[in-house]
Amino acid sequence: MRWRIVRAIAWKEWHAAMDQPLGFVVMAAFLLVAGFFFGKNLFLAGLADMRPWLEIAPLLLSFFAPAATMRLVAEEQREGTFELLATQPITDAEIVAGKFLGALGQLSLWLAATLIYPLSLFAFSSPDLGAIASGYLALWLLAALAAAAGLFASSLARHGVIAYVLGFALLFFAWILERAAATLPPAWQDALAWINPIAHYRAMLRGMIGLEDIMAFAAWAGVLLAAAWLRLVGRRWA
Amino acid sequence: MIEARGLSRRFGSREAVVGLSFSVRRGEIVGLLGPNGAGKTTTMRMLTGFLPPSDGDAIVAGASVVEDPLAVQARVGYLPENNPLYRELCVRDHLRFIGRLRGMPEGTLRDRMREVAEACGLREVMGRRIEELSKGYRQRVGLACCLLHDPDLLILDEPTTGLDPNQVMEVRALIKDLAARKTVLLSTHILSEVEAVCDRVMIMEGGRLRAIGTVAELVQMAAGKALVRVKIAEGKEAARAALAEALAEATVEEKEDGVLLVAAEMEPEALARAIWRALREAPCELVALVPEQTPLEEVFRRLTGEGQA
Repeated sequence: MRWRIVRAIAWKEWHAAMDQPLGFVVMAAFLLVAGFFFGKNLFLAGLADMRPWLEIAPLLLSFFAPAATMRLVAEEQREGTFELLATQPITDAEIVAGKFLGALGQLSLWLAATLIYPLSLFAFSSPDLGAIASGYLALWLLAALAAAAGLFASSLARHGVIAYVLGFALLFFAWILERAAATLPPAWQDALAWINPIAHYRAMLRGMIGLEDIMAFAAWAGVLLAAAWLRLVGRRWA
Repeated sequence: MIEARGLSRRFGSREAVVGLSFSVRRGEIVGLLGPNGAGKTTTMRMLTGFLPPSDGDAIVAGASVVEDPLAVQARVGYLPENNPLYRELCVRDHLRFIGRLRGMPEGTLRDRMREVAEACGLREVMGRRIEELSKGYRQRVGLACCLLHDPDLLILDEPTTGLDPNQVMEVRALIKDLAARKTVLLSTHILSEVEAVCDRVMIMEGGRLRAIGTVAELVQMAAGKALVRVKIAEGKEAARAALAEALAEATVEEKEDGVLLVAAEMEPEALARAIWRALREAPCELVALVPEQTPLEEVFRRLTGEGQA
């Protein structure tokens, strides 16, 4: 894996997203909805608390992140530019890595923009900087997972819309599974708490960031990226 | 430059290309000709390492497409069918992106970008987005991307399709210009293009190679017989008699005003010479002796079996 090539692909994805009005429209919508959940408690209950926003963030990312990732491979297949890309002297792994980092860059920008909400609290009080930092680390890991899931979904589809729906379904499934876990037998609950990345996300929101939480995200992102890579390799034999 | 041995590709049960063997020498311009669905694009995709062959191999620019496709891709400039480009990037960013994927050092890349922009006439549009450009300009951007790393071999899949006649002339001129220094394999279904730019022609149909050779060789192969038009002013009967005597195997057919059409299974030029020798002594007045050219359209039709209803 050559870093210069990965960087060039990430740079192109970033450019392609940022040079289009759609990229900003989606980001603006995300910020607006995030702001609503952030402000809900602040204004209604007078509580300066990031929890409602961080709790709902997996659901928000399920809706918004696939809009940022759906084009990654699907559009290249449709427009034929994938042939241009794949006939450069680069490997499929470099393509996957570059596209993943490009998408993660875009999602990181979204998250960075939402920092305006917790930081605005400093005007009124002195919020717990540690809680903000750990919450945002968890959020960023979640964004990396969303980028990997979206990239995999995009590699499966030829249409951006189908890639969006698949990406949403993957993330939403994990979220709903975590919500429904309480209704399952205890043995299943334990297994799900261990496997489901959203369960690890919630554990991190409780303020304790364990190595196994981080590993869970890394493992899932790795599996999804490997699946996307296999899909690209397999495409040659289709 | 290209050495294909038994190159085959199946898609499920459909055989897109079957046992293709041919070679292209350094410095040649070779045209790959065939009706739609003949397997031209699949062949080019295998030669550029985009699709692995189901069977066989090809050595392209010194590397095997099966064993080391990245080395092939590093040495070849490839223009895919329909010239796919990232429409949202400007020309400068697009070229820079391709150059970086090719691992070119930034300094070299800057110099090469200036050179290809000059060669392809892109200087004035470097800051424009691809989606704002006309088809002719896009085609030049596509060619510029192929040329960026200064490859010895260019593989161009239908480089003039979809262009207006002026743009076609421009792109052809550009290809001819390049061909002075490079080896070119281009596919097309436009016959006049092959006649205009190619040294040799390969004709494909149904995934198989039907013929390979120079335009003149293919014409002869397809025609089987050479035709020579002989115009006689005086003494037509004497000329017919002389021809019948000297060229027993030839058939002579009388066309309009004083023109005899002589057909025989030999090279057109040899036939013309034999006719000249036969009529030199005969009491007739020879006005013209013209070897007939079978148009390439006709060759193509015969070799690909179209029109054999």
